Parts: sequence; structure tokens; C-alpha cells
Amino acid sequence: MKQNIVGLIYTGERVDELQELTRYRNTAALPMVGRYRLIDFTLANMIHSGIKNIGIIMQKNYHSLMDHLGSGREWNLHGKRSGLTILPPFMSRENVGVYDGLLDALHNNMNFMRRSVERNIVVTDSNVLYQVDFRDMMNHHLDNKADITLLYTKDRNVRRNARGRYLQVEKDQVTKLEIDPTIPHFENTYVGAFIIRRELLIDLVDRAVASGQHHSSREMIAQMVSERIYRIGAFECPGRVWMIDSVESYYQCNMDFLNDKLRAQAFRDDKPVWTKLRDEMPARYMGDSLVTNTLVADGCLIEGTVENSILFRGVVVKPGAVIRNSIIMQDAVISRNAEVENCILDKQTTLREDVRLIAPRSYPLVVPKNLTI
Amino acid sequence: MQQHKTCVAMLLAGGQGSRLGILTRHVAKPAVPYGGKYRIIDFPLSNCANSGIDTVGVLTQYKPMELNSYIGSGAPWDLDISTGGVFVLPPYSKGEEGEWYKGTANAIYQNLAFIEQFNPKYVLILSGDHIYKCDYAEMLAHHIKHEAALTVAVRQVPWEDASRFGLMNTDEDGRIIEFEEKPKNPKSNNASMGVYVFTWEKLRDYLTSDERDPKSQNDFGKNIIPTMLNAGERLVAWNFNGYWKDVGTIESLWDANMDLLSPTPPINLHDRKWRIYARNVGEPPHFASPKGVIQNSLVTEGCEVYGKVVHSVLSADVKVAEGAVVEDAVIMPHAKIGKNAVIRRAIIAENAEIGEGAVIGEETGDIAVVGSNTIVAPGYVLKAGEQLGE
Repeated sequence: MKQNIVGLIYTGERVDELQELTRYRNTAALPMVGRYRLIDFTLANMIHSGIKNIGIIMQKNYHSLMDHLGSGREWNLHGKRSGLTILPPFMSRENVGVYDGLLDALHNNMNFMRRSVERNIVVTDSNVLYQVDFRDMMNHHLDNKADITLLYTKDRNVRRNARGRYLQVEKDQVTKLEIDPTIPHFENTYVGAFIIRRELLIDLVDRAVASGQHHSSREMIAQMVSERIYRIGAFECPGRVWMIDSVESYYQCNMDFLNDKLRAQAFRDDKPVWTKLRDEMPARYMGDSLVTNTLVADGCLIEGTVENSILFRGVVVKPGAVIRNSIIMQDAVISRNAEVENCILDKQTTLREDVRLIAPRSYPLVVPKNLTI
Repeated sequence: MQQHKTCVAMLLAGGQGSRLGILTRHVAKPAVPYGGKYRIIDFPLSNCANSGIDTVGVLTQYKPMELNSYIGSGAPWDLDISTGGVFVLPPYSKGEEGEWYKGTANAIYQNLAFIEQFNPKYVLILSGDHIYKCDYAEMLAHHIKHEAALTVAVRQVPWEDASRFGLMNTDEDGRIIEFEEKPKNPKSNNASMGVYVFTWEKLRDYLTSDERDPKSQNDFGKNIIPTMLNAGERLVAWNFNGYWKDVGTIESLWDANMDLLSPTPPINLHDRKWRIYARNVGEPPHFASPKGVIQNSLVTEGCEVYGKVVHSVLSADVKVAEGAVVEDAVIMPHAKIGKNAVIRRAIIAENAEIGEGAVIGEETGDIAVVGSNTIVAPGYVLKAGEQLGE
């Protein structure tokens, strides 16, 4: 059923810790779990919450994201009454095309918010992976008579020292907020998603920008908490939450999908995660292939050994090749007797025959796109 | 606005395919799954898309529901365009007449008005019964070059099998001089593939006059081609050399799947210049579990393998539980294989559930088949060549 919520996804996070992985793409476009990009999970959350209109604020390196989303057809977001609105950066008198955080981005995309007809808006970051039904969050927001409701998790997996936003929650209300504490005091981590009445958000952004001091949503929310004018609700995100903000967390998130229970949380029969299609044939196992505890996408050709790994679409594993604890992206080729362990091979990389690439478990090595070793 | 299409394709998809037994009891033959993520109809539709033919009428009659929803808007084959696209054409009532499709020619005859609206120069007639990759544009170019009224795609079959086919006897220039339907003493081994290119006016005229003949069976092979030959029309043969598999029987459907498992498959589905498109089910990558074993197999997205899979084809969202063995088998979408079940030389149709310890098929002998949505009791034994299901 149609919901009275419009979605807005901000993809401008700058995450230097993702190294080469985000050199030519933004975080939202990170390849995930064999055939997806990170934004697919955010889109799935919105679509399965009945949200039919979704805006995506683009920032930098958004070519691969644009290519991925296309007309939105694969997500059924290409209708007349529904759809995907791509909001690329643009230059204006006050804006040089580079947003200084979410609030600035919202300010520069006021037209999207003004033009929408839905009463409420859900605004999310794009570097977090979780499963939530925004309808539940909306109902909680209404029952709680909140002005704004923040999504949070108790999952310790997303806690970072000196980074993140932590909430003190009392009776479903946010009473204190910590930004980037050296050691977080509160057990609740803000997940980077909030629901608010659309007109209230427009008003808040207008006022924040008019006062000229606030350029980040962190400060906007911090101010709201400290002013005690607004009722700030809190809604706990069920299940596991992954924050993708470093090579290690990217690696761990992908590897977590080898776990049956976590995979079942993300991929439910009634809530498919859509993505761009490639029309590959099924994966082929040939010769002396030996594959265990591995996710394999269509189009792979496997003649070697693969353990505890994730193979994206079209990966070729030649006879005698060995892959362990690694993430191998689209169309990579692992030649005869090559060996790779604890690595992340970006798209179209090639390991030549007999090459051994073995990184320590604690520090996965990223091999950039198109590289031949 | 009057449209002018160079070529419109008409795909005959109404056949039951009764020799597929339980597999076509609920779906038309073109909707039968093949090769892990395809259905038979994906081949002619993808061939059309890859050949630059953007207008396709699909004639349905037998159990069309699944086929209709599968084709949908035609988007998977790029056939959802406003200047053409894919059209499902069931029989319809026409005033007081209204009737089922009587034969292949009659099916096209009943849809002459559909073809007329595109005002094409040529009409390509296809069937939804075969696995093959074919560039219809080459065939069309051959037809145009030889100024033919009708071009028939032929392939050379072994002489000893020739008497099972409709044969096109040609002169040195490839012009058809005689057509023989399953002759005892074949004069050629050029078997018709049932793929035709007609010049539109000729097709319209011959179909219209054939319809007036009460004795006609309204069939292309039996009636239209012989009549055109007798009238002295220019009929030419076009040779096709690629892989071509009729999947009309349980055995041949199983064989065609097993063909994909050879080290160098006779049909390359990994050809990125000639992709076979299919409606995608949106499943995650398949999971090869820590204790599972997969050898010489095709495994599609959405599968979870906890048991042993050897020399088999697993379609989307198939689950193979611990201790189960799947060997020389074709498992169609969403089927579940229970713990310690053993599947050998078998086809398990869509959504079937095989109970714990059940034994389906044998190491030798004919192919065993479990029909769609069938729930097989734990410990049940289905012998070689047997079929189970509604």
C-alpha cells in the first residue's frame, strides 16, 4: 500500500578509510555480497516499506552509481506515480557543487522536498547496511508524538572510538547526544536515518542555514536535542547493523553474509533485494573445483579451490588456483596456480599464473580496479 | 500513423508438448525451465532481440497463464518499446466465429490483422520448442538477396535420422524443388527447423486461400509449403549450422541440460555478444556451504547447497539439504531436496519438495520425473522412468 512517506538518500559521505575502494566510486556504489551495491539494501528497505518516491543526492564520483541505477526499472521505480529522482550536485551562487555535509545538501535540494507531496520524509545516509521497515518506524513516530525520530541500534559492531553519534534514549526519547566521543558513553548508536514531517524539515533547514552557523546535520540534531523544543523520538533498528566506513568493516560485512542466520535476515523471500541485472548464465563448476563456505554469483567459472570467500559475477578461477578468505569482484580472473588470501580484488583485476597474494588476516589488502599482477 | 516494420516475428507458443508428460501438465512447453535460469521461450525471444527484431507476436493457446506472466511487458528482452515490443496473442472470438487455433497456419491467419498494423515487408515464423542461438538477421538477408517468397531454415541431420524429419530437397542454388514429410527413402538430409521467413504479401495471400480450403489442415509444413511449391513460388533454403536441440521429450530435455555440463558445451551461454536474456528472480548469490560438495555442475543464484551435487543443473532458489545427493539431475526453480534424499538421473520440477531419505531415479535407465508443486513423502522411492505428481 502507498505510504505517505518520501525517501531521500544522501550519498555524499567521505570515507577515506575505504582507500582504493572508493577512489572511483562513492560509498553507496560499493559492490556488496556478490552482486549488489550498497545502495540496493537502502532502496530495498524503502521499497518494502511502501515508499514509492525516492530522491538520491549525488556528490562525487557518482558515475558508477548513475550507471547502476539507470531509469530505476529494476527497482520498479520508473512509473508515473512513482520513481527515482537523481539529484546531482550543481553550482549556484552559494554553492560550488560540493556539499559540506547533509544539511548543506538538503539546503541545496530544497526543491525536491518542496515538490514532493508526501506528508513525511525519511532521510538516510548510504554507508550503513541494515533491514528495517520504515512503516514500523513511522507508526512509532506517530504513537510517540515525536517531531523527529532517529533510527538507532544497540549492535556493538558499529561502535567506533572517536567517531559516530551516540544517543541517550529514555522512554523512546533522545535526551542526550554525543558526537565523536573518544569513548562512547551511551549504548545506542545513531544509524543515520530519521523520519520527520516534510514541512518541518524544510523549516528547520531554512532556519539553520539562515542562522549561518550550522552546516552539518549533526549540529542540527545536536541543537534540537539541546534546545528541548522538539520531541526527538528514537526507534531501535531490529537485527544486525553494519557500518561500512573502512576496508576492515567492508570486508567483515561481506564475510558476515557467509553466516546462514545473517544472510536470512537480509534476504527474505517476501523482500527481495533488487539490483542491476547482467543476464549471466548460472555459475559453472568444472574439473577439480572445490568450493566451500562461499557465495558465488552467476556467470562464474570455477575450476580451482575457493574457501570462505565471495565471488561476484563473472569471476574466473582457473585450475590449480586457490582463493581463501577473499572478496573477488566482477570479472576478475585468477589464473592457473595463482593463490590469493585475505584480499579484496576490485573489478576486472587479473592475477597471472603462479602469483601469490597473501595478506594478513587483520589487514585485508585491496587490489585496485583493472590491475594485472 | 502508418508504421513500416521491416520484419515482424510471430512465435508459435501454443503447443502442449504432451511428450514432456507431467512437466507440461500445468504449463505450455515454451514455459518449461531449462539450463538453470532460462525457459525455452527465452531462446527465440533473445534471438529476436539480438537479431534486431523488436516486434514479436507470441501466439498462446495451451495453459497460457504462466507464459503470460513470464513474458509480461517484455522488458527482459528489451521488447517493452512503444514502437513495437512483445504481444501475447491468444485466440479470440470474432463476431459469431471465434475459434481455437486449428493449426500453425491458422494461428497466423487469425492474427493477420495484428501483422497488418505494422505493415511489414517480411514475417518471421518461429516456434517455442527449441534451444538454439540463431541470427535471424542473416536469414532475412538471405531471403532478401534471393528474392524469395519463402525462406526455410534447414539444418543437416545424419542420413540415418533423415526419415524422421520434413526434408527440403534443393537444387545447387539452394532453391527448394521438393518438400517431403518424413519420407521412407530420403533424397536429402536438409531438415526443416520450422523457422520461416515469408514475404508478407505472399504469406497473407497463401494463408487466406488456404483458409478457404475445407480439406486443409491449416499447417505450414503439410499445406502452405506444398501449395507454394506447386504454384511455382520461389522457395529457398537457408543453412543453419549451430547447436539446435528439440527439447520435446523428457529424455531430450534432460540431454540438453547435460550438454551444458560438458567441458566445452556445444552451446555457449556465456557469450557476451549474444546473451540469452531471462526474467530475473532477484535472488542473492548461491551459497556453497562448508560441508557441501559441488562438482561439474551449473548452479544458479539463490541456491543453498549443504549436500552433494554432481553433474547436475540447479535452477534458482534450489535447496539441497545435508546428506542429500544430487547426481545427473535437473532441478528446476524453488525445488527443495530434503536431508539424505538421493536424486539420480531425474528431473525435479518447480516448487517440488523431496522428503528426507526419498530416492528418486536410478543410476541407469530412463529419467525419473517429479512434477511441479509435488510433495514427495520421506523415504519414498521413485524408480527409473517413473513420473510422480498431479
